[in-house]
Amino acid sequence: MHNETPAPENDESATRAAQSLSDTLRWAFELDESPAIAGATFLTREIIPCARDPFDAITDGAATTRQLEDLKNAYKMLRTTSATAPERSLAARLYAATIAAALVRHGELITRQSATALTRAFEELGADEEMPERIRDLATLGIDALRKLG
Amino acid sequence: MKRSWPAVYAYIRASGRRSDEAMDLTQAFICDVFLARRLLEKADQARGRFRTLLIGAVRNYLADVHRRANATTRMPKGGISAIDDYKAKGFDVTGDESVGSSPERAFNARYVAEIIRVASERLQRELESAGDGVSWELFRLRVLHAAFQGDATGYDQIAPRLGIDKGTCAARLLTAKRRFANILMEELRATMIDPNDLRDEVADLMALLNNR
Repeated sequence: MHNETPAPENDESATRAAQSLSDTLRWAFELDESPAIAGATFLTREIIPCARDPFDAITDGAATTRQLEDLKNAYKMLRTTSATAPERSLAARLYAATIAAALVRHGELITRQSATALTRAFEELGADEEMPERIRDLATLGIDALRKLG
Repeated sequence: MKRSWPAVYAYIRASGRRSDEAMDLTQAFICDVFLARRLLEKADQARGRFRTLLIGAVRNYLADVHRRANATTRMPKGGISAIDDYKAKGFDVTGDESVGSSPERAFNARYVAEIIRVASERLQRELESAGDGVSWELFRLRVLHAAFQGDATGYDQIAPRLGIDKGTCAARLLTAKRRFANILMEELRATMIDPNDLRDEVADLMALLNNR
């Protein structure tokens, strides 16, 4: 495994590196300003580059089951590794929302959690007034889809 | 402050000196100004930022070199162009903004590139000593390659190689990137004469870099 830190070789690469620093610092300051959503948005765009934010990515019917599963895994890890409570809380909501989206849009269950645990998670998501309405609606549809699954 | 030397070299090189001349002048600057005139001690006594102080010191040093060369009419082999010649070529040794790769821009690009290098190496040491070589590999392939080689390896290639799914890759990269941002800030803070100047310094650097 090649493991050296790349170093700027000429002015052009130094310029790119400088741009990278600029982007990273801007990103760091954005994290300061809206810490909860910034991390989740980064994860979302790593998986669906054209997504505007996590809510759009999850509610967009074009997201495939595979993409929703990748998003679910990313939010799941954020839920456990984040240093801040608001971010962990948001990650938990997004985690549930991806499961609901896969169920509602594709009829696929992308988790091994019990129906009882899922129903509770969807109910909490649907009742969370800090979530956008389209995410709360998705949670309600998820509960219906779970019932139909039996 | 060894990490500033590539930036000093870049400034001198962009001011119109040949590579070998720029190397000699960089070494001379380090001996004459850094060591003999104790620039760092002056920096501790002065208000302002180290980067600004350093860039001013290099500029003045080159002006001194130029004056000495003119006064004694002892031009080095290959010659040192007159300042007017630099200006005619679109270079700027006086601090004014100019089109193209001005010495100040070359200096700033190298300065921050060096900070990135130092911060990257710190991140690598931290992650690997914590047994998290996977996160370092993700950061190297997704962030550093994009910065230095202009392309980032896709998750479809990385995830199977590392044996983790795409979502977990992204989440681990987020953690590494956050740590990198913190290290970068620490490295920048270490170059501050007055720590309260950190935010201004970051804003200045971003403005400088975005105007390239």
